[in-house]
Amino acid sequence: MPPVSEQSSDADLLRAIADGQTAALRLLHHRHAGWLRARLRRRCADVDVVDAAIQDTFVAVWGDARRYEERHADAAAWLWTIAVRRMVSALRGPAHRWLSGDSGDLPDIATTPSAEELVLLGVEHGALGPALDRLSPELRHLIEATALDGLTVREAAKLLGIPEGTAKTRLMRARIRLRELLT
Amino acid sequence: MSEWHVDPGLLQQYEQGVLNPSRVMAVEAHMSACATCRGRVPVDITWLTGNWSVVFDSIHAPQAGPVQRLLARVGLPEHRFRLLTATPALRWSWLIATLSVGALAVIAAWLAAAGETGGASRLFLVLAPVLPVVAVSGAYGSGVDPMHEITGTTPSAGPALVLWRAVAVIGAATALAGVAGLLLPGPGWYAAAWLLPALLLCTGTLALATVWSLQAAAVALGGLWLTGVCWVLGDRSEVFIPFVFGPIAQFVYLAAAAAAVAVLIRRRRHFDLGESR
Amino acid sequence: MTTVTVRGLSKRYGSLTALEAVDLEIGVGVTGLLGPNGAGKSTLLRCLATALGPDSGSIRVHGFDPAVPAQRTEVRRRIGYLPQNPGLYPNFTTYDLLDYVAVLKEMTDTRQRRAEVRRVLDEVELTDRAKTKVRKLSGGMRQRLGLAQALLGDPDLVILDEPTVGLDPEQRMLFRALISRIGERRTVLLSTHQTEDVGALCERVVVMSGGRVVFEGNPRELAGVADGQVWLSGNPPEGSAAYWRNADGLYRVIGQRPEGAEAARPSIEDGYLMLLGRATIAEVAR
Repeated sequence: MPPVSEQSSDADLLRAIADGQTAALRLLHHRHAGWLRARLRRRCADVDVVDAAIQDTFVAVWGDARRYEERHADAAAWLWTIAVRRMVSALRGPAHRWLSGDSGDLPDIATTPSAEELVLLGVEHGALGPALDRLSPELRHLIEATALDGLTVREAAKLLGIPEGTAKTRLMRARIRLRELLT
Repeated sequence: MSEWHVDPGLLQQYEQGVLNPSRVMAVEAHMSACATCRGRVPVDITWLTGNWSVVFDSIHAPQAGPVQRLLARVGLPEHRFRLLTATPALRWSWLIATLSVGALAVIAAWLAAAGETGGASRLFLVLAPVLPVVAVSGAYGSGVDPMHEITGTTPSAGPALVLWRAVAVIGAATALAGVAGLLLPGPGWYAAAWLLPALLLCTGTLALATVWSLQAAAVALGGLWLTGVCWVLGDRSEVFIPFVFGPIAQFVYLAAAAAAVAVLIRRRRHFDLGESR
Repeated sequence: MTTVTVRGLSKRYGSLTALEAVDLEIGVGVTGLLGPNGAGKSTLLRCLATALGPDSGSIRVHGFDPAVPAQRTEVRRRIGYLPQNPGLYPNFTTYDLLDYVAVLKEMTDTRQRRAEVRRVLDEVELTDRAKTKVRKLSGGMRQRLGLAQALLGDPDLVILDEPTVGLDPEQRMLFRALISRIGERRTVLLSTHQTEDVGALCERVVVMSGGRVVFEGNPRELAGVADGQVWLSGNPPEGSAAYWRNADGLYRVIGQRPEGAEAARPSIEDGYLMLLGRATIAEVAR
C-alpha cells in the first residue's frame, strides 16, 4: 500500500482507509468536509446537527471503507448520500430510531447520478431553470430532496418535517406541475 | 459539464443564500460531479480541525464495554475504570482468579456427586482463601508490570493506587468464590467460613509486600497456609474443620488480620518507588 | 532559572556505590548527562524522576522535595520520565497507551484528556500511527511514543534515560530535532554515552564517572579540557595509551606530544576521553 498524499485520488484514499491508514481518512475529511457542510447547512439550520452528521459520515467511512470499493460509485456522491442520511436520521431524534430501518447502514445502492440529476446539470442553460423557479417552494423542496439529494420519499418527508403521505402527494403534484411548465 | 464551472462570485452568492432556487440546484448538482468546484468552497480551518478531532477521537478512543457501562451506572467514573483494569498483568490476574474459582467449583461438584460431600467442602475451604491472594499478586509491582517505572512516577502512583487495585481484584475474586461457596453441599456456615482466613491472607500479603515484592509475599503466605492446613488435615483429620475453621480459629484470624492492617497502614509508604529504603 | 537542585546525593546498592556526593544545578534547555556504563547516570535520573529514594543528600524540583510524600506528588505533576526500558505494553495501541498514562497523570476529564493525547501524538509525529499496536511500531517510533508519554501534561522537567540508544542514523536525527524543539522552553535532562548527541543538541553537559560528577559546562568547554593535549602524528606514538589511526592515515594522540607531531583541535570526544582517563587514575589512587 503506497503512502497517500494531497494528490491521491478519492478512490486511492478510500483504499488506504480500508487498509487502516488514518492519514488517508484525514485527507479525505479535509477534502470533502467543507463542501458537505456548505450543502448540508442549506437544508438544516441547526449547526450542531450538521457538524455531527459530517463527523458521523467519516467515522462510518472508517469502519466500512471496503464497501465503497465494491461499488465503484463516485466517492463525492457516496459521501453526500451518507452525510445527508445521517443528518436526516439525527433530525428524527433518538426516540424514533426504529423508524429509520436500515438507514443506519451505509447506502447500498450505487450512487450514480439519476436521470433527473443529469437533467439538473443542464439547468443553467435549459428551460428547466425558469420552470423550477416558478414552482412553489414546498413542491420544489421535495424535488430537491428526492432528485438532487438522493433521499427516499420517507426520508425527504422527515427532512422537511411533513407526514410521509403529504410528501407523496406533493411530489406527484410537483412532477405534474413541472411537466406543465416545461410544455 | 466541463465547459461550465461555478465561478467565485456565484459561489459567494450560493453561500450567502441569495441565489435563485434553480441556480442553487444547478450549483449543487454541478458540485457533486466536479472536484475542482468542490475544492473552491472556502473552509474555516479552525472548524475543520475541530470537526476532524472529533472523528479522530471516535475512531481511536477505547469504546466502553458492557462491564464499564454497568459500573458507570453505579457511579464508577471512566478514568477510574481504566486505572483499575488497564495493565495486562491485572487482566491476567482477573482471568486466573476466575478460572481457578470455576475449576474449584467443578471439582467440588464432582466430588459431591461421587458421594464425597466431606471431601468437597474440605477442598473448597482449603483453597478458597488462597484465590484472592493469587488474584492480588498480579495487581502491582515490577515483576508483573513492565511499565512499572512509568506508572510509579506519575502523580497517581503510591499506596492509594496499589490499594485500589488490590481491593478491586480481591473484591472480584471473593465475590466469585462466595458464589461458588453457596452452591456447595454441607452446613450453610461453610460458605462463609473461609472469608476470615481469606481476609487474613490478603491483608497479610499486602503488609508483607511493604518489605518484599507483592509476588514473593503472596507465595510465602499462600504457601504457609496450604502447608499448615495440609499438615492438620494429615495429622488430625478428624478435628480438621473445628480446628481450622472453628470459632477460636476464626477469632485468631480476625485478630491477625487486624494486626496486618495496622502494619499495612503504618508502612503503606513503602509501596512508593520513590521512598528511600 | 534553576529547575533542579541536587546537593550531596548518594546512593549505594550493597557494597556498590552508584552515586557519591553529587551536586548539580539544572535549568531550562537541554542538558546532557554523559558517562560510561555504570557511571551512575541512570541512578541519578531515577532519583530525580522519583523512581528511587536516595540514601542521603537532597533534591529539589521547583522547590519541592521528593523525599516528603506529599511534595513527591507535586514533583511528579511536573515531570515527564522516559526510563531506559520503558516496557510499553506491546498489545496496546499507541492511542490507548497514551490515554492510560494520561489517566495516571490525573487527567480525569475525558475530553480534555483526549485533546492532550492528540496534542502529544502530533508533537512526536505519530498521529497517523494512533491505531497501530506498540509491537508493530519500529524502534524509532516506539522511542517517540516513549517520549510522547513523557510529554503528556506538558511537564516543565523532561527526564530521558538513554533515549537515542538503538536508533539508526536517520531516526537519531529525527529524534534529536524533536528533543531540541522540546528543550526550547522546558528543562530536558537526557543521559547518553554518545558524544555526538551532546555536540548536536545539548547546551550544557555533565560528565559522570564512578558515581561522581567530574565535569559541568558547555560542550565547547568540554572539548577545551583536551586543549593542547591532542596531536596528529605520522608514526604510532610510544608510551601513550590513548591513540588511534584516523581516515587520513595519521595517528591521533591524546596526552604527551609525540616526536614531530602537530597540535590538533580537540573535539568533544577528546575532552571526554581526557576526563575519563583522569577519573580512572583518580579512582585507582583512591
